[in-house]
Amino acid sequence: MTTMTPPAAPTRTPVRVPLWRRFGTALLAHPAVRTLGPFVPFLLIWWAVAAAGTVNAAFIAGPVEVWQSFTELVRKGMMPSYLGDSLERLAYGVGFGLLIGLPLGFVVALSSWARRLTWPLLLFFQAIADIAWLPILIVWFGFSLTSVTFVIVYTVVFPLMLGIVAGVDQVPRELVNAARSLGAGRLRVFFEVIVPGSLPAVASGVRTGLGYGWRALIAAEIIVGTSGIGFMMFDARRAGEVSQVFLGMIVLGVLWYALDALILAPFERATVERWGLVRQMEAAR
Amino acid sequence: MNTLEINGLRKEYVDHYTGETIPAIGEVTFSIGEGEFVSVLGPSGCGKTTVLNIVAGFIDHTAGDVLVHGRSVHGPGPDRGVVFQSHALFPWKTVLGNVTFGLRMKGVPRAQRDVAAADILELVGLSGFERKYPHELSGGMQQRLGLARVLVNEPEVMLMDEPFASIDAQTRRKLQQDLTEIFEKRRPTVFFVTHDIDEAVFLSDRVVVLSHRPSTVAEIIDIELPRPRIWRETVEDPRFREYTHHIEERLGGGEPDAQAG
Ligand SMILES: Nc1ncnc2c1ncn2[C@@H]1O[C@H](COP(=O)(O)OP(=O)(O)OP(=O)(O)O)[C@@H](O)[C@H]1O
Ligand SMILES: [Mg+2]
Repeated sequence: MTTMTPPAAPTRTPVRVPLWRRFGTALLAHPAVRTLGPFVPFLLIWWAVAAAGTVNAAFIAGPVEVWQSFTELVRKGMMPSYLGDSLERLAYGVGFGLLIGLPLGFVVALSSWARRLTWPLLLFFQAIADIAWLPILIVWFGFSLTSVTFVIVYTVVFPLMLGIVAGVDQVPRELVNAARSLGAGRLRVFFEVIVPGSLPAVASGVRTGLGYGWRALIAAEIIVGTSGIGFMMFDARRAGEVSQVFLGMIVLGVLWYALDALILAPFERATVERWGLVRQMEAAR
Repeated sequence: MNTLEINGLRKEYVDHYTGETIPAIGEVTFSIGEGEFVSVLGPSGCGKTTVLNIVAGFIDHTAGDVLVHGRSVHGPGPDRGVVFQSHALFPWKTVLGNVTFGLRMKGVPRAQRDVAAADILELVGLSGFERKYPHELSGGMQQRLGLARVLVNEPEVMLMDEPFASIDAQTRRKLQQDLTEIFEKRRPTVFFVTHDIDEAVFLSDRVVVLSHRPSTVAEIIDIELPRPRIWRETVEDPRFREYTHHIEERLGGGEPDAQAG
């Protein structure tokens, strides 16, 4: 990332670089600017379109209205409670998803007969879109948290399992051999070599799974919902509150961006670096 | 009793695509005594790695026996320590973590492990690097670590498959010299695979020359060069050149890359 920022201008040609450009270079180097900068023109265009009044106000709400409805919903306590509901469901779904997906993934990855047996099933069930389960789930569990959790678990488990299988396959055979001739039994090989060796792929499986799970959650809330961000958006549509629909979309984006950029991506990067893919990365540089 | 005994070993690979059997090892018999350094030399593709992998327990053999102190070999085990050409270090473990791995598997208490590790790292010249990760070491240092990791485990026999092949010529010389000194100090039993004739003669007590695939033992040569061996002095010894010339002829002029250095 840092290689993409141009070197500090003054050290190179101090006379010729105009002040505005020097200022711009320094500004662009700031992480907050780099992260939020691209949103500025987007906001401006959005604001201009909304303010111009060419589009009917029933179809579009400007940044100002969205901000107002945000503060209003926060004041009334709806936003925090909906947000809490959504995040709680995500946490449940992801928690159960990991609980099921991790052991299952390793079993399928390590046992050749388990893989032969389950692989076609895995691909088949992975192909059924998560949302496609909702009708039958509603029949079984009603409009309940169970249905929503099921959908998230479902979306998390498959990318996670496929990630684990890929990760285990990519652990060098030689490391397993080395461990075994240093006296490691099967169990030690698993915990000392297979798990750490596959961790980068598992981490990216978790990240992908969570991303899918988040999307599935919103979709499920729209259909099943009695609360949550997805429900809020759909309910607002019914009431004709376009600004709340827009608000919901923004909250989704911001939340995922924060979760991904602050937790998941660094976690994935850290495992990849520590877990010895550094050499390949250096070679590729 | 010999430390390692290989009796009438045969190996046929089965080609996954065509299903035909490929004879890799025709019939190989030799043994290694306690504290002896034996190199196996042979043309590329003759089955040196295959023999070593069978002894290590990584692959099965078709016929014959592999005995370590009279016990027949089944699967890998800590009695046979392997130094890999590609080092095969655990990238997520530090130098110390790599060296103490085997002792940890044996259940040696931590304090004792650390003492043994310090000792062995000193021996291979890696003191002060305990907290580094493998990728922070040079290729030569990585192989020193690979060696230390096995030495500290005190296996009954050490198996080394072209451990210096991927290391630059200059560093390789140094590693060969250091390996000789370590060997002379500790006297482990070593089964060493190489296709560098000079390396084999310099390091070994005996050299086993294999024929083309399917390999058989073409000749076993006792290397009666005095120890301690020092590279510069040992190569000056007229017997050194006699041995290497003899082996080159045995190998049919030798391979071009066997002449390096
Ligand atoms: N898994 C395998 N399946 C089929 N054939 C194999 C397999 N492994 C090795 N062979 C064949 O067996 C023969 C011996 O291979 P091996 O790797 O033991 O030779 P080598 O003497 O170590 O060669 P090099 O000097 O190049 O390292 C080769 O002809 C090789 O093609
Ligand atoms: Mg080989």
